[in-house]
Amino acid sequence: MTTTAPPDQASKQQLLEWYRTMRTIREFEERLHKEFATGEIPGFVHLYAGEEAIATGVITHLRLDDYIASTHRGHGHAIAKGCDVRAMMAEIYGKRDGLCHGKGGSMHIADVDKGMLGANGIVGGGPPMICGVGLSAKIRGTDQVGVSFTGDGGSNQGTFLESLNLAAVWHLPCVYVVENNGYAEATSVKYHAGAGTDIVKRADGFGLPGVVVDGHDFFAVYEAAGEAIARARGGGGPSLLECRVNRYYGHFEGDQQTYRAPGEVEELRRTRDCLDLFARQVTSAGLVDAEELRRVDEEVARLIDDAVADAKAAPEPDPSDLLTDVYVKY
Amino acid sequence: MATVSVGVVANPASGRDVRRLVTGASVFDNAEKGAMVHRLMAGLGAAGVDRVIMMPAGSGVSQSLQRHLGGRTGHLAAQRLPELEVLDMVVHEDERDSAAAVRAMAERRVAAIVVLGGDGTHRVVAAHCGDIPLCALSTGTNNAFPELREATVAGVAAGLVATARLEGDGLLRREKQLQVNVNGDVRRDSALVDVAVTTERWVGARALWRADTISEAVVTFASPGAVGLSAVAAAVSPVPRAARHGLHLRLAPPERAPTVVTVPFAPGLVTEVGVVQARRVEPGQAVPLTPLAGCLALDGERELELGPSDRVTVRLAEGPLVIDVDAVLARAARQRALNGSARPRAPTL
Amino acid sequence: MARTITYMKAINEALDQEMSRDPTVVVFGEDNVGGHGAAGEMDAWGGVLGVTKGLYAKYPDRILDTPISESAFIGAAVGAACSGLRPVAELMFVDFMGVCFDQIFNQGAKLRYMFGGKAKVPMVIRTMWGAGIRAASQHSQSLYSIFTHVPGLKVVVPSTPYDAKGLLISAIRDDDPVIFFENKVLYTIEGEVPEESYTIPFGEANVVREGDDVSIVGVGRVVHMAQEAAERLAADGIQCEIVDLRTTSPLDEDTIYETVEKTGRLVVVDEDNPRCGMAADIAALIAQNRFDDLQAPVQMVTAPHTPPPFTGSLEDLYVPSADKIAEAVRKTTGGKVRARA
Repeated sequence: MTTTAPPDQASKQQLLEWYRTMRTIREFEERLHKEFATGEIPGFVHLYAGEEAIATGVITHLRLDDYIASTHRGHGHAIAKGCDVRAMMAEIYGKRDGLCHGKGGSMHIADVDKGMLGANGIVGGGPPMICGVGLSAKIRGTDQVGVSFTGDGGSNQGTFLESLNLAAVWHLPCVYVVENNGYAEATSVKYHAGAGTDIVKRADGFGLPGVVVDGHDFFAVYEAAGEAIARARGGGGPSLLECRVNRYYGHFEGDQQTYRAPGEVEELRRTRDCLDLFARQVTSAGLVDAEELRRVDEEVARLIDDAVADAKAAPEPDPSDLLTDVYVKY
Repeated sequence: MATVSVGVVANPASGRDVRRLVTGASVFDNAEKGAMVHRLMAGLGAAGVDRVIMMPAGSGVSQSLQRHLGGRTGHLAAQRLPELEVLDMVVHEDERDSAAAVRAMAERRVAAIVVLGGDGTHRVVAAHCGDIPLCALSTGTNNAFPELREATVAGVAAGLVATARLEGDGLLRREKQLQVNVNGDVRRDSALVDVAVTTERWVGARALWRADTISEAVVTFASPGAVGLSAVAAAVSPVPRAARHGLHLRLAPPERAPTVVTVPFAPGLVTEVGVVQARRVEPGQAVPLTPLAGCLALDGERELELGPSDRVTVRLAEGPLVIDVDAVLARAARQRALNGSARPRAPTL
Repeated sequence: MARTITYMKAINEALDQEMSRDPTVVVFGEDNVGGHGAAGEMDAWGGVLGVTKGLYAKYPDRILDTPISESAFIGAAVGAACSGLRPVAELMFVDFMGVCFDQIFNQGAKLRYMFGGKAKVPMVIRTMWGAGIRAASQHSQSLYSIFTHVPGLKVVVPSTPYDAKGLLISAIRDDDPVIFFENKVLYTIEGEVPEESYTIPFGEANVVREGDDVSIVGVGRVVHMAQEAAERLAADGIQCEIVDLRTTSPLDEDTIYETVEKTGRLVVVDEDNPRCGMAADIAALIAQNRFDDLQAPVQMVTAPHTPPPFTGSLEDLYVPSADKIAEAVRKTTGGKVRARA
C-alpha cells in the first residue's frame, strides 16, 4: 500500500457535517410539507426533498465569497450555502425577522451576504446572473466562482442556453448545474426535451464540457462538482454538470402529482433515497456509527421544531415595511 | 425459413461521465448513437437479418433513431431494413437495463448482439450473453475492449454471422474475462479488460483516472495501442488479445517504483505510472488481491467499496465470443456471400 | 472649462472619466468594441453609432463585446452588480427590451426589495431610443414609460450634451439600477460641456425657459421642439415655460406643480405612444393634485397609437413637432377659461 492519499479522505467530522446538511434540508422540507397543508403558510412553496445530495455535494466546495443562484425550489441550496435556518423558516411564514424581512418569501429566499443570490420565481432567471458573478470575479481578479442551479425544465429556457454560450465566450469561472429530476412541472423530460433527456450534450454545443452524474449519490456529485469547481476557480473556464435525481413532492405544494405513476414516489423513497445511501456507505465503511447519525437526526429534528415554533410566534412586518428598500436612495 | 433476430444494446449513458472534466474526453453524442443504430440496421438488413430486438434507450438515442427511420426517402427507402422491436421492459436507467435486455434477447434466441457502448457496457453484456456472439462497437471513453468501426459495415458483418451464411472457422474470437470473487461469493461481476484496486474511498463519479491511486491490477490483455491499464501493462510486458494468458501488476507512485512508464491513461491524459511487478496469469488461475480500504474498479470504473477485511480474488476465465468484422467480411468476399441478396426484398416499413 | 461637443461625445467622455476613476466600472454590449475574432481592426465600431469608440484602447480589459444574447448579458449586468462591479451594459436599441426584460424588471429591479434590503444592484443599462431616422417600427420606439412604471428602476432621459454627461456620471455612481436613454437623433447635436467630471442629481427637472402663460413639460428630443414652438408663440405674445424633466423616475413632481401653479396651463409632450405613457401620468398627477390651479384642461401631445412607420413622410407625422406643440398651447389659451380661485 504505497499510493498517495486521494482527495476524498474525508474525516468523520466532515462526513457527519455533510449528513447534517442533507438531513437539515430533508427535515426542513418534510416539515414544510406538513405545515403548508394547514393553510398557515402564504403563497407558493416548492420542496427539494429527494435532491439533497446535489445541493450538499456541490455547495460544500464553495466558499462564503462564492455565489450561487437558485430556482423556485431553493430551500436546499440556501441551507447548504449557510443561510440561517430559523430566519429561513420565518421568511417562509412571512414574518418581519425572516431572512428577507418578509418581503421575499419561499420563492425569493436569499442572503447575499452568504453568497446566495436568491431562489427565483422566474424559470431560468438565475443563470445570467451567475455569468455576471463570473465576470465580476474575472474583472476584479479574484478566484471566486459562480454556480447556477437549473432544473430540466429550466434547461429549455433561452436564458440558460444563452448563459452557457456567454460563459464559454467570456471563459467565465462558472458551473452550471442542471438538476434533472425528470419533470418540468407536470410534464416529463421525455416530452419536453427535444433531444430526449440528453441535456448534458447542450454543453458541447456551446463549447464547454458536460458531465452526467447520479444525483442521489452524494459522493458522485461531490467528486464531479469538485472537479468542475476547481476547474473554474483555476481559470479553466465553465462547465455543465447534469445531476439525475428525483423529487418526492410535487412541483408546488398542493400538486397532487397525478402525472406520476402510482407508487413511483414510494418506490424512490424506498430504493434511491440519498440519505439512506449515504448512511449505508459511511457506516459500511466503518467511518461513522449509526448511533452518531441518529444523534444528528435528533438534533436536526429539534432545530426544525424550534424554527417552526419561532416562526409561528414571530411578529409580522410593520405596515411601513411595504415602502422600504425599493431603492438604496430615491 | 426461420426468422433471424439480432439484439442491439445501445447504452445512452456511455461517454458522458466525469472524464469530460478531468481528461480530454468529449461527450459522445446520443444522437449519433441513434444514427449508428440506423446505419447498423441498414447493414443487418442487407445481410438478411429479419428483426432487430433493441434495448429501450432514452436520452435521445431512440428519438434520433426514430428520426432517421422516419426520414428514409429516395435511395435509402429502397433498402431493406429489419423490423425493429423495442423490448417491453422496466427501465431503471442503470446497468440493470443492459443485463435485463441481454437476458431477454437470449430467451428470444437472438443470433448475435451488437453492443454500442464503452468498456463498462460491454462488461455488463458479457456477463449475461453466454455464447451469443457479440459485435463490440465503441461509443464510450477509453474503449479498450470495443472497436471503432463504421456501423454499417459492422451491421453487415454481424448480419452475416447471424444468418450463418459463411462457412469455416475463425470468424469469432474468444475473449478473456476476469471473474471477481468477493468474500467467497462468486459474483456475477466480471471484467473484460481489467480489475483494479484503488485507494479512492468511494465509488463516487466512478471513472478511474488517477493512476497514482491504483495499487494493483489484473488485465486480460496488454495492448500498446490501448488507453488505460491495458496500455500500462503493455509498456512493461505486452500480451496480445489473442493470447490465453493475462497479467497481474503491482503499481506504486513513480518515485518509488523500479519501472516508470508513460502511457495514455485516459483520452488526453498521458501520465507516468510506476510499476513494481508484472506477472503472468494463466487461464483458470485465481489471483488474490491485497486487501485495503478503497474501491474495486472493473474496466476503468469504480464498482465496489471495499474495507480492509474484504477478500477479493480474480480468476482469468473464458469470456464472450466477439465477431471479427474484418475476418467475416474477407470470408464473405471470398465466398461471394453477398452477391445477389439471398432474401427476397420485403417492402420497407 | 466648458467647450462645445456633441451629445455622443459627452456620453463617451462620461464613460471614460468614470472608468478612469473607478476600476469596478465595466462596459459591455454588442459591438461596443467591434472586430473581435475577425481579421480586420479592433474597435472597428466602438458601438453601432460609435458612442463607445476609443474606450477599448484605454481600457482593453474593461470594455467587452457580447454575443447577441441580451437576456444573458443584461442578466450578467445584474449579477455583476450584486457581486462587486458597476456594470454599464448596453441594450443597443430599447426596442430589443422584449428579449431581456425579465432580467431588468423582475430581477434587477426587485432584488433589493425581495431580499429585504440586503442586495443592491448598481448597474446602468444604456439604450438608444427615438424615431426620426427612418429605422421603422422595431428600431424607433421610446418605451421609457414602461421602465418608469417599474418600481425599483430609475429612468434617465437627457436632452442635451451637458445633461447627458452629468446624468450618466450620476447614473454610474448611483447604487440603484438606472436605465439611461440616449436619443439617437440627438447624438449629433452640440452643446457646452465642461471638461471636468460633474454630476446632475436625479429627480431634478431643468426649467429651460421661463414664462408666465403656459407650461410645456417634456423629456428628450421634444424639449427642443418645445423650444422652437415657444419662439414662435412668443411672437404672438404667449410666453411659455418649458420644463425638461431629465429623469422620469424619480420624477420631479415639485417642479411640475410649481410651473402649473404659476401658469395654470399645461401641455405635456411625449414622443412615446399615448396609452399609459408619461403624458398621461403627468396629466393625472395634475388632475388629482393641482386641479384648482388649472385654467384649462391639460393637453397631451404624443405619438399616435401606432407603431413608428417607415416612410419619412409618415414618420414625420408620427413624432410630435413644434407645430403640434404650438397648436396644443393655443388650445389651452383659447376655449373655456376658469377663473383662478
